[in-house]
Amino acid sequence: MTSPLVRIRSLEKRFDLSGSLLEQLRFENGRFRRKQEAVHAINGVDLDVQKGETLCVVGESGCGKSTVARTVMGLLSPSAGEIHYDGERIDHLDGKAVQPYRRKMQMIFQNPYASLNPRMTIQQTLEEPIRFHYPQWSATEVRDKVHEVMHSVGIDPDWGSRFGHEFSGGQRQRIAIARALAVDPEFIVADEPISALDVSIQAQVLNLLMDAQESCSLTYLFITHDLAVVEHFGTRVAVMYLGRVCELADTKTLFATPRHPYTQALLSAIPRLEDDRPNHIRLQGEVPTPVHLPSGCVFHGRCPYANDRCRQEIPQLIATDGGGQVACHAVEEGRL
Amino acid sequence: MALLEVNNLDVRFAVRGGDLKALRGISFSLDKGERLGLVGESGAGKSVAAFSILNLIAKPGYIAGGQILFEGRDLAAMSERELRGIRGNRIAMIFQDPMMTLNPVLTIGTQMVEAIQAHRKISKKEARKIALDRLQKVQIPSPEKRLDQYPHELSGGMRQRVIIAIALLLDPEIIIADEPTTALDVTIQAEIMALLLDLCEQENVALMLITHDLGVVSQVTQRMLVMYSGRIIEQGPTREIINDAQHPYTQGLINALPQMGEPGERLFQIPGSMPSLKNVPTGCPFHPRCHFATEQCKQAMPEYVRSGNVNVACYEVANLIEQEKRMQEAES
Repeated sequence: MTSPLVRIRSLEKRFDLSGSLLEQLRFENGRFRRKQEAVHAINGVDLDVQKGETLCVVGESGCGKSTVARTVMGLLSPSAGEIHYDGERIDHLDGKAVQPYRRKMQMIFQNPYASLNPRMTIQQTLEEPIRFHYPQWSATEVRDKVHEVMHSVGIDPDWGSRFGHEFSGGQRQRIAIARALAVDPEFIVADEPISALDVSIQAQVLNLLMDAQESCSLTYLFITHDLAVVEHFGTRVAVMYLGRVCELADTKTLFATPRHPYTQALLSAIPRLEDDRPNHIRLQGEVPTPVHLPSGCVFHGRCPYANDRCRQEIPQLIATDGGGQVACHAVEEGRL
Repeated sequence: MALLEVNNLDVRFAVRGGDLKALRGISFSLDKGERLGLVGESGAGKSVAAFSILNLIAKPGYIAGGQILFEGRDLAAMSERELRGIRGNRIAMIFQDPMMTLNPVLTIGTQMVEAIQAHRKISKKEARKIALDRLQKVQIPSPEKRLDQYPHELSGGMRQRVIIAIALLLDPEIIIADEPTTALDVTIQAEIMALLLDLCEQENVALMLITHDLGVVSQVTQRMLVMYSGRIIEQGPTREIINDAQHPYTQGLINALPQMGEPGERLFQIPGSMPSLKNVPTGCPFHPRCHFATEQCKQAMPEYVRSGNVNVACYEVANLIEQEKRMQEAES
């Protein structure tokens, strides 16, 4: 097997909540104590993204999926762990050293209303990354490239002098995709790129992303909460819960035979057109806060199969018969 | 007689440069205990339709014409005072964002008691008892404790349960729910929807569910309306429309869902996007995006035709029905 394009190794990310030293000090029982708290957004994630595939990361809000995307892109620096791109470690690089990777890795954000600079015309928005990464290009070359990408995403190149607010949500997301494609990337991280769009527009943007993947041989890391999209779009799926990957498998395998109890509940909750009556697995309680993580398996408080081992020992990803990986003691012990 | 009957409702927004027509003559009815879905994309007018029933559209919006008959009385012609007796009492509403609808500086209990006492002359103690009962109905863990908590102490799913409990406080006839689960996660959404469905069935409350999610509509409602650019373009039994949509827009909307396509293949897509209210196309508002559009479609808005139990506003469907009729006549 060829080596993966992107490699995430035991990635961790904490966000400090406690503030400055003075704010951390508490006066308790007659003495000063220092109290520190942090949001544990990612707690040891290992993922490989293979060349040419679409790896979907799904999970509910607060599971750390967007943090994974941002950390991979270098928008956040990891608290621990490593990120490798094409065999090179990139998470500790800075300044000039990281620049070539910035071109190869591009990102598409969720909200096209916020990700386009309102004071720049579309032409300027699209020219900026090209000028930055290809400073030797002439003005004509840059303009031609901008026309080419605008054409490829279905935006009329004559609209270049307009501003972001003059476009609809779907068109804006097309422009955001054009901006990512403008510098000929290899790897695109898409963080909920269609969640803010209407159904008929979602289909247009998904088609565009699939076309771009084919014509530019792109690799996607696709972050979403919409499982129907994953089923259609993903090569492989990683399901996250409270900062950990609980199941990783081929899309087909995962949807046909979900192993982890959380994946099962998640899949049963998709509103389908076929059934008249919702018949979903009801989970107890709600997602605990990532500030005080539960001991053992992070899912044990809501899991109908939890036992003492689940409450104490953190399950590791183990291979399943279907070729996937699952982190669950119940599956490992054959209880499920 | 239907519980709620909307006839030819016209809602406009008076802005500089003339009126924007947000709703252009929509008619529908809702029976006692029935669950009706209102589907459409943003800008279709589904929320305006829901808000105008209780005359909640803010200025510069106004009801320009039509009737909203609730138990035979016209809500559109009612005084603000009379309307207040119905709002929250006989017709309750659930909004999209539970954080926006709960008052952040009052406890859940205070807000619930206030809502009851606004409509009924009872003591605080009795009102609290009713509040507690409703919180139990929506299956909130430790409901006594919740009464003394503030909204920020609850999670999103829990807040939406509180909102549902508040909607149920005065045993309404109708609950209007405007995208009640859009802000929630999938597993929480499934739970809230199941709860809403159970409660409406138990209490025999009519539900008007506004959503853009066809999956939710197909699971929860019995009848549905599809809206496009301020008009209802298709209405009928939910199953019938989902399984065999007639209007090209509804067909496109269903076929564009990722679950309808083969994995990895291109999805069906409707070209273009919904027109803005400022320049609504003449004739059928969908014609610039429609594969079947002819000259006729550009001229005038099509009338409703009946196909099975479904009412559709489309010339193409009308022509097909006409053709079928002629064929049958020729055969016999």
